[in-house]
Amino acid sequence: MGNSNAEIAASGRVSAPDLRGGAPQLTRLQKIGNSRHLGLYLMAPAFLFVVLFFVAPVLLTGVFGFTNMSTATGISGGAYLANQSSMRALRDKHDFGELADQINRVVFTIDEAGLEAAAQAGASAATLKELNAKFFGQSFGKRRDVERAIKTLDNRPSSTRAIKAISKHFERSVFNIRFDSADDLLAALNKFGISLDPQQQAAVIDVTYTGWVFTTDNFKRMISLPDTRTTLYNTLFYVFTTLILFNVGFALVLAISTHYMDAAPAGFFRSVWLLPRITPPVLYVLMWKWLAWDTGFISAVLGPFGIAPKNWMLDSPTNAWTFIILINGMVGASMGMLIFASAIKAIPTSLFYASEVDGATRAQQIRHIILPQLRFPILFITSYQTLSLLTSFEFILLATEGGPGGSTEVWALSTYFKALNNYAGSLEYGYGAALALVLVVVGVAMSILYLKLFDFKTLTAPPKIE
Amino acid sequence: MRILLDNFTKKFGTLTVIDQMDLEIHSGEMIALLGGSGCGKSTTLFSICGIHKINGGRILFGDKDVTNITSQERNVGVVFQSFALYPHMTVEQNIGFPLKLRKESASEVKRKVDEIAEMVHIEALIHRRPGELSGGQQQRVALARALVRRPDVLLLDEPLANLDATLRLEMRSEIRRIQQETGITAVLVTHDQVEAMSMCDRIAIMDAGKIVQISEPREMYNNPVSDFVAGFLGSPPIAFLQGRITDGIFVEPSTGTKMPVNADIAKRANGGEVRVGIRPEFFQPGAGAAIKGRVSFIESQGRETLYNVTLPDGNILRSIQGSQSSARIGDEVEWGVDSSQMLVFGRDGMRL
Repeated sequence: MGNSNAEIAASGRVSAPDLRGGAPQLTRLQKIGNSRHLGLYLMAPAFLFVVLFFVAPVLLTGVFGFTNMSTATGISGGAYLANQSSMRALRDKHDFGELADQINRVVFTIDEAGLEAAAQAGASAATLKELNAKFFGQSFGKRRDVERAIKTLDNRPSSTRAIKAISKHFERSVFNIRFDSADDLLAALNKFGISLDPQQQAAVIDVTYTGWVFTTDNFKRMISLPDTRTTLYNTLFYVFTTLILFNVGFALVLAISTHYMDAAPAGFFRSVWLLPRITPPVLYVLMWKWLAWDTGFISAVLGPFGIAPKNWMLDSPTNAWTFIILINGMVGASMGMLIFASAIKAIPTSLFYASEVDGATRAQQIRHIILPQLRFPILFITSYQTLSLLTSFEFILLATEGGPGGSTEVWALSTYFKALNNYAGSLEYGYGAALALVLVVVGVAMSILYLKLFDFKTLTAPPKIE
Repeated sequence: MRILLDNFTKKFGTLTVIDQMDLEIHSGEMIALLGGSGCGKSTTLFSICGIHKINGGRILFGDKDVTNITSQERNVGVVFQSFALYPHMTVEQNIGFPLKLRKESASEVKRKVDEIAEMVHIEALIHRRPGELSGGQQQRVALARALVRRPDVLLLDEPLANLDATLRLEMRSEIRRIQQETGITAVLVTHDQVEAMSMCDRIAIMDAGKIVQISEPREMYNNPVSDFVAGFLGSPPIAFLQGRITDGIFVEPSTGTKMPVNADIAKRANGGEVRVGIRPEFFQPGAGAAIKGRVSFIESQGRETLYNVTLPDGNILRSIQGSQSSARIGDEVEWGVDSSQMLVFGRDGMRL
């Protein structure tokens, strides 16, 4: 026994150096074990995700909203490029028409590169040597001029076609050439004998830059476009109609009517109203589409009555809106129903008894007992659903894609189309971000408004009655 | 107004809670429905006010059959155990609520609310909300709301159960005062025999959905019809001994103590097994048939002291005495039972 103890002690001493690496880890573990730090460790993943998927996107949206990023500019830096459109901008925006024409012009210069290229292409060495000797460094404004110069050479090619083949190697232009920096572009222009005053330089740099820049143009554009107003009205109509009719209104009807039912049928009806919420959204909307399209249920049922089949959902803006609001409302109502029903359940039975013997009818009970007690749940559902309706567009995208003719295009959907997905494939990240930023600001403003309106502090104060 | 329950039956599903009960409550009297939990006293109360629909029999207010009239139209005032005040309304709105529902004019409502508020002493509180009131104040508001429309009957469901001890004493007399001032017919549901005895004109004691006895409190205390009633009334409770009556004498089996019983009972129960009840005030030192036992528990109640005396067979007799008594736990004592005050019950528990 004594021996084995000694052995353990000895082996412990022997392996001590091996354990040294593990020892500090043990103390770190002990630190984690301290409940004061444990919370932080547990919070860390959540914090990381919040930063990655919430804070960062919102901040970036704020930044992108003030840029002109698009598929054309890319999201990294750009180059300097004189082309048709940048020259048009130079003419229209900066009123340097003459300069634009100048930059547009093609110049023929006898230079090293041209000679080399011509030699590569198989032009005779004698011709090129003489060309080099007689005209090196000279520029010609027109192709005809450079060709005439070649014809003066002793060793000129015999055919006009060969002369044309040589001349093309000396064609020089800044047009459609990408320059990595503004200085390169200016140097190139200078080389062609186009010298610019500082004002012109600034203008040329401005119009030829192909990357994105910071700008407030998005917001100016948003205000000036008539589409913006249509989208805004669509959004307001969509949010408040769905909210009032279904998410709060119908939810209240369901909660209150099931409250006055026996437990079994009440539970059944609540479950039925939950079904749309647990149906996969894509299938759910697909079923609505089946219901509505020209060979669908409605058309089939109405057919025998002599009503021509048509796509009932996309037939008119009114129909489209009816479907959109029904599709959203049928899902949205269930959440309110659950919240309201549980809030009604929390009202002591004795209050119902008391109001009954006080002479209150059902309607008066709802008016004087239930609704006042539902103030906070109604606030909660109103604000929660306003925000969720403002930002959710999946059902509209799936059902009508904003149609017919953009009549059901709400702000969030329009943002999505502008920035991330559209038919033309020209995605305006910057403008989309600006639209999204408006949504963020409106959302925050509305939350604050609701909290003020419903007197949030009193509502969340500790209850004064058991 | 006289209230009559005639052959009243109430079932919950297949469970019969009240079976063919008859009860007459006289106009202007206050009656207690007394019993343990689950005896059907609250069910009876909720049936009178119409919250429960009854399954058989009739309920009459005066001569009017209200059996099929909804609670909204019955004109009853109810005070609930939890007071059931509307938390989002002020005291004034709470009290005025029944009147408002009747579409009485605002000035009329105000006048009546002020009048009743003064009566229950809460004039100063009428702009507060229930959450800002103490339990006793809430109780008064609940009373005021029940009384404000001059109901045919005032129903009180364990009104004192949620109050602390001192408030309970205070509200006991307050409710009685208000009931007597208004002359209203009132039904008090309680499990507390002290409340029932101190507040009510009569007590209807209930067990398993039946009324066992209806009497005035004193009469019920002195002349219980069964050992159940005897055991329910009185604090500290009555003590029971088992034994046999032979030749007009009850013999306590473990000590052999002989306690004479009156001739009438002796004649009826001769040779039979009986149960005798001895109230603590009739088991005292130095009087009646002396019985030996050991003091097993002492509880000082200030003015008086309660002793439990355990007999050799483990039965316990209780004695309540003036606090000058010097007995200690473990002492062997020999105190007397006043056998003329003994309550004798047959094997079925009924009084002989």
